[in-house]
Amino acid sequence: MPGAGASVGPLDLESDELLPLPTADWVRLRTRMAGICGSDLSLIDGTASAYFDPLVSYPFTPGHEVVADVEGTDRRVVLVPVLSCITRGINPVCPACATGQINLCERAAFGHLSPGLQSGFCSDTGGGWSHQMVAHPSQLIDVPVEFTDEAAVLIEPTACAAHAAARYTGNATVIIGAGTLGLLTLAAITATRDKVRSAPIVVTARYAEQKRLAKELGADVVCSTDEMPRYVRSSTNSLVFGDQLTCGTPHVIDCVGSSDSLQQALRVVAPGGEVQVVGMPSNVSLELTSLWHREVAIRGCYAYTHADFHTAIDVIRHHDLGRLVSATYPLKDYTDAIAHAAAAGRRGAVKVAFDLRAVELKGS
Amino acid sequence: MPRPGFVLEVDRSTPSIMFWRGENFSLEKLPAGRSRVIYPPEPLEALKDIDGAIRHALLNPHDQDPLPTQLFPGMKLTIAFDDVSLPLPKMRRPDTRQRVIEAVLDLVAAAGVDDVHLIAALGLHRRMHEYELRHALGDRIYDSFYPRGMLYQHDAEDPDNLAIIGTTDHGEVLEINKRAAESDLIIYVNINSVSMDGGWKSITTGLASYRCLSHHHNPETLENTRSLMGHRHQSALHTSVWRMGKVLKDNGPKIFQIETTLNTDMFPAPFDFLSKREWEWTARDRATFLATTKSLNRTPIKLARKIFHNMEGPHQMTSVQAGETDAVHKLTLEKVYEQQLVEVVGQTDILTMGIPYVCPYNPDGVMNPILVMCMGLGYLFNMYRNKPLVREGGVIIMTHPCYRDFNPVHHPSYIDFFDQVLADTTSPAEMSRKWEKQYAEDEWYKHLYRTGNAYHGVHPFYAWYWGAHGLQHAGKVIIVGGDPPTVRRLGFTPASTMDDAFEIASDVVGRNATITHLHAPALLVADVQ
Amino acid sequence: MKRSAPTRLSSVGQLRRAAKVGDAASAAVQAVLRPAKALGFPYRKPSVPKGMVVPPNPDKLGANFDTGWARSTPAKAARAVITNGPMRAMVRVMASPEIVGLDRLADIQRADESPAVIFAPNHHSHVDTPLMHIAVPEPWRSNLVIAAAADYFFDKRVKGTFAALTLNAFPIDREVTSRKSSDELRHLIDDGWSLVIFPEGGRSPDGWGQDFKGGAAYLSNRTGAPVVPVFIDGTGSIFGKGMKRPKPGKTKVVFGAAMFPIEDESTRRFNARIEAAVTALGDEALTDYWTARQRTAAGTSPKLTGPEYNGWRRQWALTEHRKLGKAGQRRRQNRRWPNLG
Repeated sequence: MPGAGASVGPLDLESDELLPLPTADWVRLRTRMAGICGSDLSLIDGTASAYFDPLVSYPFTPGHEVVADVEGTDRRVVLVPVLSCITRGINPVCPACATGQINLCERAAFGHLSPGLQSGFCSDTGGGWSHQMVAHPSQLIDVPVEFTDEAAVLIEPTACAAHAAARYTGNATVIIGAGTLGLLTLAAITATRDKVRSAPIVVTARYAEQKRLAKELGADVVCSTDEMPRYVRSSTNSLVFGDQLTCGTPHVIDCVGSSDSLQQALRVVAPGGEVQVVGMPSNVSLELTSLWHREVAIRGCYAYTHADFHTAIDVIRHHDLGRLVSATYPLKDYTDAIAHAAAAGRRGAVKVAFDLRAVELKGS
Repeated sequence: MPRPGFVLEVDRSTPSIMFWRGENFSLEKLPAGRSRVIYPPEPLEALKDIDGAIRHALLNPHDQDPLPTQLFPGMKLTIAFDDVSLPLPKMRRPDTRQRVIEAVLDLVAAAGVDDVHLIAALGLHRRMHEYELRHALGDRIYDSFYPRGMLYQHDAEDPDNLAIIGTTDHGEVLEINKRAAESDLIIYVNINSVSMDGGWKSITTGLASYRCLSHHHNPETLENTRSLMGHRHQSALHTSVWRMGKVLKDNGPKIFQIETTLNTDMFPAPFDFLSKREWEWTARDRATFLATTKSLNRTPIKLARKIFHNMEGPHQMTSVQAGETDAVHKLTLEKVYEQQLVEVVGQTDILTMGIPYVCPYNPDGVMNPILVMCMGLGYLFNMYRNKPLVREGGVIIMTHPCYRDFNPVHHPSYIDFFDQVLADTTSPAEMSRKWEKQYAEDEWYKHLYRTGNAYHGVHPFYAWYWGAHGLQHAGKVIIVGGDPPTVRRLGFTPASTMDDAFEIASDVVGRNATITHLHAPALLVADVQ
Repeated sequence: MKRSAPTRLSSVGQLRRAAKVGDAASAAVQAVLRPAKALGFPYRKPSVPKGMVVPPNPDKLGANFDTGWARSTPAKAARAVITNGPMRAMVRVMASPEIVGLDRLADIQRADESPAVIFAPNHHSHVDTPLMHIAVPEPWRSNLVIAAAADYFFDKRVKGTFAALTLNAFPIDREVTSRKSSDELRHLIDDGWSLVIFPEGGRSPDGWGQDFKGGAAYLSNRTGAPVVPVFIDGTGSIFGKGMKRPKPGKTKVVFGAAMFPIEDESTRRFNARIEAAVTALGDEALTDYWTARQRTAAGTSPKLTGPEYNGWRRQWALTEHRKLGKAGQRRRQNRRWPNLG
């Protein structure tokens, strides 16, 4: 059962120990809210790829979708979790960081910090699923005053979506999957790139609540997974040989990342088109003959740059996305929280988060 | 001596009435004192010497010279015949088409004609499988003509094989199969199961193109067709078709129309009780009914469909007439009404009907939800003359399981119609404006229609338009026993039982509504005064 | 003593042993028979005194063979078992029949009172008879009588009994239909029995058909029972006249439409009509229905009796002719299209 790793796996609730600041300019954060992400779930359940082993350091506290107060100030910030060269004290920075593409930083396992792709995977930084953690100043972006904490906790995942949406060309597009990532990618496209839209956006969704939200966020067509190929066929005037459409859409965004979703993406993408993999895949099995035959590209899409965070703030404001936080839990109910997040679609939820504010009110 | 149809006033001693429900049956109790059931007439006697009657018709046509005198060596002859949309269920061998065409071919051979083409006049229906052609024509005709390329099926999307005959004074273009248009003589072999068919409709729809059909297969025409089975002058469809018929008569090739009628003896033993009145069921009939319904409840749906579609009906020819189209059709209609007409006085608030497993658009296939609507609101609702059985704004209640099930080989465009078009709108006018062109011109559907066994891309629209008059007339449509999301997609209201349906209907027609039940399966036309 | 497998039957000792066993066996048989030999008349056939001639007793053989018992209920039941079991299997193995044209009989088959029918097939082989038993549909199959040559099938008691039981055979004279036979046949038809009569009289001697004789037409005229023409293709190659052993192959049986007798039509004319019908069916079987109709209308249907040649050319034409039909097909090869020449 998805999410069962929370009760039987290596995840444990412990008392907080104050983390040392790695360098003097690091600051301490008091967490207000932290989201549960699909990557956290696959980690807990043990389905994440072994690829990440050199990129994490144990023991670490998960949680990279963080909105927190900076201790000693009245700043409320959202965390940019990527641990790039500048946070690791690497000078000169790597070529990727030099151009601002911190998501492609080449030094995630090096520098004066322990290995860690992001805060929330590193033993030195702590993570969002606790009351305090440490962060480098470059990782902090102020949250607009009018934003609720719920809206703020969505900034990080929306930044991922904004990063994916940057590749939208306005041509016919299919978004596979209407979980958090799929819905936010759709929201990012319709909020920021609506002017270039010249063809329908088709979104596949499994559950009724997802379908409703997808329609609201601006999808032209919302359908279930097995209906999608027929929609694409008729809207692109495609013929069929076997399972493969002869035409198809130039751009398919896979927000699921499973063998089935990627295979389906290959079936409906146009010759010379691109399948953008936004959902994190692990070990998938694919029949790639159609990729070769029709000169199709599969391109990964990971994380974000600082600019994407600012775009994300605009997207959240445009669509009032705070309402996508469907439930919050105190830290002590973490097994329920993770079970809920793992079954979010079925239970009509989108984002599930930990609410770490209540303890403060009690005056600890 | 076959008894005529009649109207039964339901009272407290009336037993439950049998309703078709797709691939099964149910017994429903209708409220006493305000319900009536219309029973069809019993089947007429079939002709004693069928082959003799056919020969006689060919040698003694109406308003035309005997067929042998119209045949000469070196002529271009086309024999067109109705496709297997009817009869339902299929006839036992030899089929009427086989009998008539073999009789015709005898005369054709005697006249020394070599250039003969046999064309299945299927319009925009699906191509028939080999076994269906063999059943309709017999193995002798199939094996003689098919390998020579002289037997084939009309292809309405073949641009090289269409010819325009002319235009009516209303601007309707008559465009038909080129080979037929250029023949010296067209012999049309028709089976008239219902009064809608035959006459000029045979050629102007069966051999026509999409462009030609769209002149009368559209919502406006069909909403003004009151009814499909009734008087021609009250049917906008037939008025248009007869206009095209005039063009065909004036400018087209000579036509020798052969029309035949069938009696309504549709079910083989031991299922003949299906046409019997419930209080006349013998102990054996009741046992058969119980055994059948109970075993069908346990039978997987695929197998149940197979059993039903393999059934061969013992219906047989009751008349055959040949010659000039109008003269022949007048006699045909008389015979059809003789078999099917029932006098009914007045309308009621509610009309109930059981929908069977088959309609003319899914022979040997699956009855998908769109065809449930077509059969109920298109065919059965239109089985009237003068006035509909239910008053305007009344409620129509149908029974059918309405599975969201489609045959992807026969009805590929129906699947997309259900997913895309019906999710958007159920209004015939709206869908005609917004969606019809895309489906009619889609390359893939055209490919499947021309090379596979699929109905034309536009056909689901036609099936929906067929019910346009019913949709407009009824205040509410309820489907009992149907899959709820599917029924709602059709724009109708789902109900679990007949009593629930009456309860829902009372919102529209009040608590003491009057009810008419059309006792299908046998065909009947209600002459409503 | 060790016994090794014998490599050659050359050992003299073994021969001697075999001879001894043979002697012992014949001695045992003799011992059983000797007492019987000691018995005389009436246990054994009497010897004929010198100068005396035993008059022949032919009454019960040939056309006078009594076959009434074979049409009784127990015999019918026994024959049903034989027909549906061993006979059907034998026909299927030997002849792999393809039976077509049954829809032409649908009307009289489904009539409330199906009339008795006289089937009139062409005749090339003894296989024709069991083949007809298998091919003829109900309701006639279980009431079928085959008219068989009296001088061939009923010249010996055992042969006649076997033919009557398994094939429901009835003796008729080949050349001249005697009054007695024809009266008996008429009674049979009136009783509801259907008949199979081979109008050619006997099997074809050379693979081509022979002229039709008027027996079927005569009976139809007298009884009103319709004649159903039948064409059987391929049996001549399986077990034709003169072949020593049957050779399995494929056959095709084509049924024609029932032909009712016409008022005031002579037997001769009706017979010609029947022959023309079987000829047309033969054309249909070997080519296709349309070609057959066209040739019938034009009067150019190939005659069953074959070309007007003599000697080797006739036989030559026969092999060409056979290639058109079922005999020309290799076993297990089904030709889907008719031969369009």
